[in-house]
Amino acid sequence: MSARTIAWVRHTGWRHSVGVLAVAFSLFPIVFVVSAALNPLGSLSSTGLIPDSAGLGNFAGLFRETDFAHWYLNSVLIAGIAAAAGVFLSILAAYAFSRMRFRGRRAGLVSLLLIQMFPQFLSVVTIYLIFAGLGDYYPALGLDSPWGLMLLYLGGALGVNTWLMKGFLDTVPKELDESAVIDGASHAQIFFRVTLPLVAPILAVTALLGFITTINEVLLANVFLRSDGAKTLAVGLYGLVAEKRNANFGMFCAGSLLTAIPTVVVFQVLQRYIVSGLTAGAVKG
Amino acid sequence: MRIPLRAVGVFALAALTLTACGSSKTPESTSTQPAATLTIWADDQRSAALKPFAEAFGKANHVEVQVQAVSKDLQTNYVTAAQSGKGPDIVVGAHDWIGNLVQNGTIDPIQLSDSQKSAFADVAVKAVTFNGQLYGVPYAIENLALIRNTDLAPTAPATIEDLVAAGKALKDSGKVSNILSLQVGQNGDAYHIYPLFSSAGGYLFGTKPNGDYDPADLGVGKPASVEAFKKIAALGEKGAGALTRSVNSDNSIPTFTGGKTPFLISGPWAVADIKKAGLKYDITPIPPFAGGKPAQPFVGVQAFYVASKGKSKALANEFITNYLTKPDLQVALYQANPRPPALTAAMDQVKGSDPDIEKWLTAGKGGAVLPAIPAMAAVWDPFGKAESAIVGGADVPATLSGASKTITDAISK
Amino acid sequence: MTNTYLRGMVVKIAVLGLALALAVYAAFPLADAHAWGWLAVLVVVTGLIFAIYLSPRPVPAKYLVPGVLFLLAFQVIPVLYTVATAFTNYGDGHRGTKQDAITAIQSSSVRQVPGAAEYALSVALDDGGLKFLLLSPDGKAYAGDAQGLHELGAGAVTVTAGRIAAADGYQLLDLGQATQRNDEVLAFTVPTPDGAIRATGLTRAYTGQATRFYDAGCDCVTDRGTGAQWFADERTGEFVGRGGTDGEHLAQGWKVGVGLRNFARVVTDGRIAGPFLQTLVWNLAFAVGSVLATFALGLACALALHADRLRGRGIYRVLLVLPYAMPSFAMLLVWRDLFNQDFGLINRVTGLHVDWFGSPWTARLAVILVQLWLGYPYMFLVATGALQAIPREMAEAAAIDGATAGQRLRRVTLPLLLVALTPLLISSFAFNFNNFNAIYLTTDGAPFPAGNSSIGATDLLITYTYRVAFGGSGAQFGFAAALSVYIFAIVAVISVIGFRRSRKQEEVYA
Repeated sequence: MSARTIAWVRHTGWRHSVGVLAVAFSLFPIVFVVSAALNPLGSLSSTGLIPDSAGLGNFAGLFRETDFAHWYLNSVLIAGIAAAAGVFLSILAAYAFSRMRFRGRRAGLVSLLLIQMFPQFLSVVTIYLIFAGLGDYYPALGLDSPWGLMLLYLGGALGVNTWLMKGFLDTVPKELDESAVIDGASHAQIFFRVTLPLVAPILAVTALLGFITTINEVLLANVFLRSDGAKTLAVGLYGLVAEKRNANFGMFCAGSLLTAIPTVVVFQVLQRYIVSGLTAGAVKG
Repeated sequence: MRIPLRAVGVFALAALTLTACGSSKTPESTSTQPAATLTIWADDQRSAALKPFAEAFGKANHVEVQVQAVSKDLQTNYVTAAQSGKGPDIVVGAHDWIGNLVQNGTIDPIQLSDSQKSAFADVAVKAVTFNGQLYGVPYAIENLALIRNTDLAPTAPATIEDLVAAGKALKDSGKVSNILSLQVGQNGDAYHIYPLFSSAGGYLFGTKPNGDYDPADLGVGKPASVEAFKKIAALGEKGAGALTRSVNSDNSIPTFTGGKTPFLISGPWAVADIKKAGLKYDITPIPPFAGGKPAQPFVGVQAFYVASKGKSKALANEFITNYLTKPDLQVALYQANPRPPALTAAMDQVKGSDPDIEKWLTAGKGGAVLPAIPAMAAVWDPFGKAESAIVGGADVPATLSGASKTITDAISK
Repeated sequence: MTNTYLRGMVVKIAVLGLALALAVYAAFPLADAHAWGWLAVLVVVTGLIFAIYLSPRPVPAKYLVPGVLFLLAFQVIPVLYTVATAFTNYGDGHRGTKQDAITAIQSSSVRQVPGAAEYALSVALDDGGLKFLLLSPDGKAYAGDAQGLHELGAGAVTVTAGRIAAADGYQLLDLGQATQRNDEVLAFTVPTPDGAIRATGLTRAYTGQATRFYDAGCDCVTDRGTGAQWFADERTGEFVGRGGTDGEHLAQGWKVGVGLRNFARVVTDGRIAGPFLQTLVWNLAFAVGSVLATFALGLACALALHADRLRGRGIYRVLLVLPYAMPSFAMLLVWRDLFNQDFGLINRVTGLHVDWFGSPWTARLAVILVQLWLGYPYMFLVATGALQAIPREMAEAAAIDGATAGQRLRRVTLPLLLVALTPLLISSFAFNFNNFNAIYLTTDGAPFPAGNSSIGATDLLITYTYRVAFGGSGAQFGFAAALSVYIFAIVAVISVIGFRRSRKQEEVYA
């Protein structure tokens, strides 16, 4: 082996082998899902990694037999808006927790975490009653409405993500804010002009995480949404396999794959942003 | 930073006028809303079948009918919604829900005339009767039977022993991988094992003189049930290998449709997949153990219920008692999901075109009506897990005494 | 500077104006419904918002209020309300008020009077309001109201298809119109000597009678036929029988406070208290194991792919995070099948014949493996973000000082990463501690020891709570809430300890 090869292995080669192994691990069950989605007679036990025959019948079936297009649109809208709004609420709070010292700060942080830990299947009944009541006054925000569901998701905006962002803000040197104060900027300006660009990568990451969590959420959405047209992907897909898993397995797999597309797109978009956020930060730093 | 208060004031005033204008419109639009609506909740399969009929009913009667599919936890969601007054007018579900729905005050009895009642199969009426009242209008009857691949097993086995022998011969010759496909799964399945359990002499509840199940007489830990489970253990993983925990609700039917087993114990819901796979099959009653009692499957009924707090309860009653009792809708529901209709006239209509119907009924003859008493809820889980453990080779008396104690505790609570 | 100052002000006015507009809009329905309490809440909240944002000082509340408002409304209040149910018997059979139970008992006891006639019904109006037009089986037509039946002359009515289709002096309602008077129709009874005629649906009527009725005097329910009586027991929220029906209680109960009984039951019930400790240990192991495994693998991948000129880095990243993009509930179900002993792909591909969910340790290994697959892309993403946020100069400076790659990782990168990621690790631990789906959708607690169906080898406290609370005779929300409070307390203690540690770190590096 030449010295150059050895150097390549040391610098880059090992990275590729880790990457390939990790990708193989990631893809193994997904290949199974793809195979089942393409297999027109797809069923759980008959499917291998390579389908016996391939066709797009399951994909066509999704659009023909179910309200898939509606579910898709609802999910993308709800998850998109909830993720964006959630990130905004979350970074505001994280900024306060990271940069300011006030009474109840630590208690507040711990409580944020603890509230998330209460088993949700128990509070579902209460949440149901709250939104039933809310719907009496404001029909647009009540049960069976995507807006109400979105409000509910925003209730969870402060939580894990706040922690995450606070952690990142702690790594951004405070001197940057302080120098801006000397320049005469207001604190809101510092927040929007100085701090936000610096933490752009984590904003992107949490937006993606929020998007994924929301698009996967079944428990609350199932209680909330009734009309076929109002459902989200997760609820709709769950319905496909809730009773007759064998018969619909192919369609279910096809739907799962299509569900992954918006997430991957969001990831691609944000990935570029993560990089640009990085360079912006470097310039300011 | 200072905010000029006057600016805020102006803006607020503008906002106020805007919203005031907006809200003044609302009352008009609510008063011109279309006529009454009837809301029906069902699971995904059934709501698809119901939709066209619900629409036809709505059109004919100038009402709006909404069929909404609840994919997950329909019963719990219904109880929660009904209790807060936000539920549907009608809910569709299995008859063993009745006990729970009644104790929560979420459904009301239905008044059918004698002639309407007699139009239904007796077992269906019996299933939806609870505390002497009729609580639902049944539309389909379902029970387990033995489905066999006639290419692999041309004759129906007369006993379980025959079945195992035939399956074993095929397995040894490498034609199939499983002797029998009967779903057990990791945590057991009381519903599917019950026919074998009853044939081997076991019982869940004793019966009161009037024929109702008696929760005070629990059979699970009794010697007869222990003996029954010993026979089941002999079929299990450490015995003949006819029952294994790897066969579960997801793969039991595909195993059969894939030609990997000659025998499947399942219900009418399996037929669509079998037909799709193009197999030659026959449906016969589940055979008993040699010298044992008959193998009784549970007979379950799917029914429509009227919500006690529905906003269109009168209309819901109308739909259920006077529309669902006619054959057309029951035939349509059969066509969407081929299970024997509960209405005799509908059954007669579909019998001609579908020879399976008669076979399902024959297999269900002498079956036990699935208990709707709330105590039954305490049985499913412990009983199933005991079954799974025993199929896996666990000690029978110890397993059953544990299960029996768990069930007794839960019932007495 | 004045330009930006102006713009900031305009934005502020616009946002506050919008808030006010929303508040005003929200006030109208409340005022219409005379919900003065809620209106007061609305006014106070709006006032608070204005007070906070008009303040010139950089108060933390300016940053916290928006999120906290949502948090309070949709998380804190539901949780508090749920905790409050721990002191009640709320659950199936005890969901509503006593009045609900009484209504249910009475209306479910309405029976047809044997032998009484059935009528074809047409709902109609006359000057006096709602009327029932009834056609008896022998062809006689009647009009009925609260006073009773009176016969209509044969000439005054038109009968079509077995029902009265028109009658002089009456306006007949079709189903839609009648449904709009739903409550009226339901409450409408026509008294007759043997009971009362009621509607069943909108086209048929029967003579029925409630066989059970409630008497406030004795606070009891009496059965008209048998004379049996059930007396209200406010301690258990049930009507309990005395005399002939001794010990039996009516199915329909109501919600009552039970004090600390639910909490006491957790401690005293051997089936629950016994396995609690063992489950707690596994629960902790599961949470720690999942976090460490996902973090280690995620970080390793992030470090490996954190190189500027790595070809295909973008593709690696996308493929690597795919597990996170797939719907997790779906993938949990798929994984369960992959682990099936006879049919699962894992045994088929590897040629093994392991009964994965059949023995405790393989089952535990399997669920952690599934968590690793589901969770490491998340760790990878955050670690990647964190790595990129670390100022490059720091690493470069260290490199100039002659530190090797390993030293740089240990001394510079890892500590900085940990500052950023410790809160994440804690929250990930918290999430996994209560990761209901991970167990519920895969093993559902299996394998269970023979003879014990309530607690399995892979059960977490939360799946266990779920089974205890919902597995027996219907939902027992009150009891489940009490169990959750215990679990909550445990998690709280653990988190506070973990948080203490993170405080030390925060102060070192911040």
